[in-house]
Amino acid sequence: MSDSTSPSKRRTLQMLLSAGGTALLAAIAYPVIAYLKPPKLSGQSVSSVGLGAVDEYAPASATLFRFGEKPGLLMRYQDGSFRAFSATCTHLDCTVQYREDMGIIWCACHNGKYDLEGRNIEGPPPKPLDEFTVIVKDGEVHVTES
Amino acid sequence: MELFTSLRGWLDERVDLEGLAALARKKTVPSHRHSIWYYFGGVTLFLFIIQVCSGILLLFYYRPGEDTAFESIRFLMSKVQFGWLMRSIHSWSANLMVLAAAIHMFSVFLTKAYRKPREITWVSGVLLFYLTLAFGFSGYLLPWNELAFFATKVGTDIAGSVPFVGGAMLELLRGGEQVTGATLSRFFGFHVALFPAIFTVLLAVHLIMVQRQGMSTPIGHEKSSEETPMPFFPNFVLRDVLLWLIVLNILAVLAVFFPWELGVKADPFAAAPAGITPEWYFLFMFQVLKLLPSHVLFLEGEVFGVLVFGIAMALWTVIPFFDRKSQRGQQGRFFTYVGIAVIVFILFFTILGWVML
Amino acid sequence: MKYLSLLFSGIMLCSFVGTAAAQDRQDECYACHASMEDDASQAFATDVHRNGGLTCASCHGGDASLDDMDEGMSSARGFKGVPAGKAISATCGGCHDDKERMGALGFDGTTGQLTALRNSAHSRGSGATASPLMECTHCHGAHGIRPARDPASRVSRRNVVALCSSCHDNPRYMQQYNPSLPTDQLAKYRTSVHGQRNARGDSRAAACPDCHMAHEIRPASAASSSVNAMNIPMTCGKCHGDAKYMEPYGIPTNQLALFRGSVHGKSLLEKRDVSAPSCNDCHGNHGAAPPNVESIGNVCGTCHALNAELFRASRHAVEFEKAGYPECETCHGNHDVRPATAELLALGAGSLCGSCHSTENAPEGFRAAKVMHVLLDSLRNTVALAERRIDDAEQKGMEIEDVRFSLRDARQARLQARTAVHAFSVEKFSEVLDPGLLIARQALIDAEAANDDYYFRRSGLAIATLIITVTVILLFLYIRRIEQQQRSRKQAVS
Repeated sequence: MSDSTSPSKRRTLQMLLSAGGTALLAAIAYPVIAYLKPPKLSGQSVSSVGLGAVDEYAPASATLFRFGEKPGLLMRYQDGSFRAFSATCTHLDCTVQYREDMGIIWCACHNGKYDLEGRNIEGPPPKPLDEFTVIVKDGEVHVTES
Repeated sequence: MELFTSLRGWLDERVDLEGLAALARKKTVPSHRHSIWYYFGGVTLFLFIIQVCSGILLLFYYRPGEDTAFESIRFLMSKVQFGWLMRSIHSWSANLMVLAAAIHMFSVFLTKAYRKPREITWVSGVLLFYLTLAFGFSGYLLPWNELAFFATKVGTDIAGSVPFVGGAMLELLRGGEQVTGATLSRFFGFHVALFPAIFTVLLAVHLIMVQRQGMSTPIGHEKSSEETPMPFFPNFVLRDVLLWLIVLNILAVLAVFFPWELGVKADPFAAAPAGITPEWYFLFMFQVLKLLPSHVLFLEGEVFGVLVFGIAMALWTVIPFFDRKSQRGQQGRFFTYVGIAVIVFILFFTILGWVML
Repeated sequence: MKYLSLLFSGIMLCSFVGTAAAQDRQDECYACHASMEDDASQAFATDVHRNGGLTCASCHGGDASLDDMDEGMSSARGFKGVPAGKAISATCGGCHDDKERMGALGFDGTTGQLTALRNSAHSRGSGATASPLMECTHCHGAHGIRPARDPASRVSRRNVVALCSSCHDNPRYMQQYNPSLPTDQLAKYRTSVHGQRNARGDSRAAACPDCHMAHEIRPASAASSSVNAMNIPMTCGKCHGDAKYMEPYGIPTNQLALFRGSVHGKSLLEKRDVSAPSCNDCHGNHGAAPPNVESIGNVCGTCHALNAELFRASRHAVEFEKAGYPECETCHGNHDVRPATAELLALGAGSLCGSCHSTENAPEGFRAAKVMHVLLDSLRNTVALAERRIDDAEQKGMEIEDVRFSLRDARQARLQARTAVHAFSVEKFSEVLDPGLLIARQALIDAEAANDDYYFRRSGLAIATLIITVTVILLFLYIRRIEQQQRSRKQAVS
């Protein structure tokens, strides 16, 4: 165990020690990072919502509704037919609204405009609004994911 | 390498790194047969750091409030990855910290390390210890489970029996006359804001004093050059780290094999469950109060007990000013016997409380 | 009014009874009163007690052997006159409540009637004096008493119905004592099989005392009453379970035995759950009759409302009516209703659905039964498995309470699905069952995950501990090396 034999041994020891230290840090960091990742909430996702009686919606009107954690926009047209869109603007994360005066769906954040079929017609939105499927059954309106 | 050197130079110009390094090189730790006790301060500090880290992590998910506290902890333990680990670590580390701090304190007492010129270190240290207990007491309630609820009820009730100021203290602690959601809010405030703030200041004083004055050498060992003092860096620091790693290992095993249970949600209108006990470090006080006769002198037993404990704790804090002999650097047996008596008293009633559960 | 007059001429049995000498003596009281042709003596002529050797003095006191009226009816001779109030029944009870005495007189029949009467609803105190409502003579009369088996007796099966209803059929009268008690018992009884046979003179068909007891009559709410829900099966079974007794009627006598083994019988008699039906809940009590084929659904439907509703809207309702099958009974039986398990939907040989539905004949129903059976079974098994895995995980100390809680919904879905079977439509059934199956499957997945997590924790710990331990050892070696170097350097310097 004299000094002369140590340099290589010592280097090995130092290397091993730094490897151990790194592994140790990883062993601590891994649970911490996993811990910080918010858990997925099961059972919170919604695939269909009931929106009540057909009569509650006047022709040529639009209503915001909750689809799980996201907003939706239920359109009723002049002819009495229904369509539903995701009310999340495709540009950024704002919620769109129906503008009766302009006859369009409008996003207040950056003046994005969609026609009543949800197609992006003006402003920054890059694509049409996502559409839901509307089912009218026994006089009740149901909206499901398409 | 170049970058490292220049960064070092940049820092050196501003904070005098070289001075600090010189200080570290020069610093030594006395080496004698009582040296082992020096490590418990470091262990306590390590556990405190763990408490801070795990506490911050717990705060990411904990939601104080009567309707959310229990639920959020349950969510943490069942849904969040490693949530159970964080909570178990926090709880176990709290208990180990009390234990380490107690060992540290009594070892300092018995080696008379509190003597002049280290009175400030002792007083700040004892206050830190009391604060550690307060941390434990306030943190115990936060999961808002049945056992914690009733333990808090009993604990604050004892505070309420202090003469004259008891009633006001009770209301201050509980945020009302009863233990309710308001108490939970308060305890949360104490636990994560008020106590940490005070603790930090006291800890800073404590550590600065230790660094300024170095370790105390027990009376009778100063002159004995049987062993040369140990360099603080790297010898002592590496030993410290070694011990910390062992403690971390123990902590991990405890957390996995004995995960902290959550129990049932507190219901203020339910009857108290059987077997409510305080945390083990309050057990001896609880046991003594239980055993006191209903009247001592002209006082109620409980009031008497609380007064005696209060006075004893205050005296304990200022003990360096009474121990004249050690101030003069002379060995005295009296305070050694006092320390041993206190340890025996605490051990006896803790064991008694344990047995009589 | 006749009874009242009888009451005033009360009777008393006293110490003369049992002495052989008394029977030999002539009854001078009777001789004289009979010559006066008064009501009491005329009735007494056929009284069972006179035939048994009792005299007027046995009840009224005095000395019946003396022909001097004044002396025979003097208080010195123990004459008591007409007993009134409690004294009436005390007089009767002097013998009839004394087993030894009745035995000495050669009777081995029932004694203790007075005690029984005093324990009955009829002895409830009334008015300021709190005297009992009824005495022996109210039912038995005073001087023309005949044994109950004598058809002419007021308390024979033929007459007792009229006797009881003389009060109980009178709302005005009953109001004074128990306003909440119905007074339609007689009308209902006349519609029942018992009542109709009784009216035709069948002396074996049940009359009031057969169910309510003769003396110890208690309200149905009392646990010891013969007509308390819990005791009714035994009360009815006394006759209906007696093959010999029921022989002339040619009806089965196994109802009680079957009922005891049924889900209803077990709930009522073993679990003592009084919400479970007793005999009368289906058959009626005073109007006891078997429910008709078309009314069974209504009878069961009083409790199993949703099942009945679904059934009536189902295809089976139509088909069963065409075929003349009793609604619920066709599948569930009557007295021996078994707990409804998924096995009811089984299709094998001798099974329920399979007895009508097969792949050739009615394949649609066959398929429906199969699907429902499989789904119910799978839900039950999934829930049971999930529960086991949750237990496992909890035993390992995993926090899994919320998963256990979510299983409640699955269990509820299973209960609802069992009801939904009665619509006999796979679509409607699945609407109820599928969400439950989803929940149960998710719970199972979560429970498995918790169990896996346990092992993950252990192995994670093993890795972490290994890393820490190795680092500790390396650090230890490193420290030792450094200190060796320090020491050798110092030696070199010195």
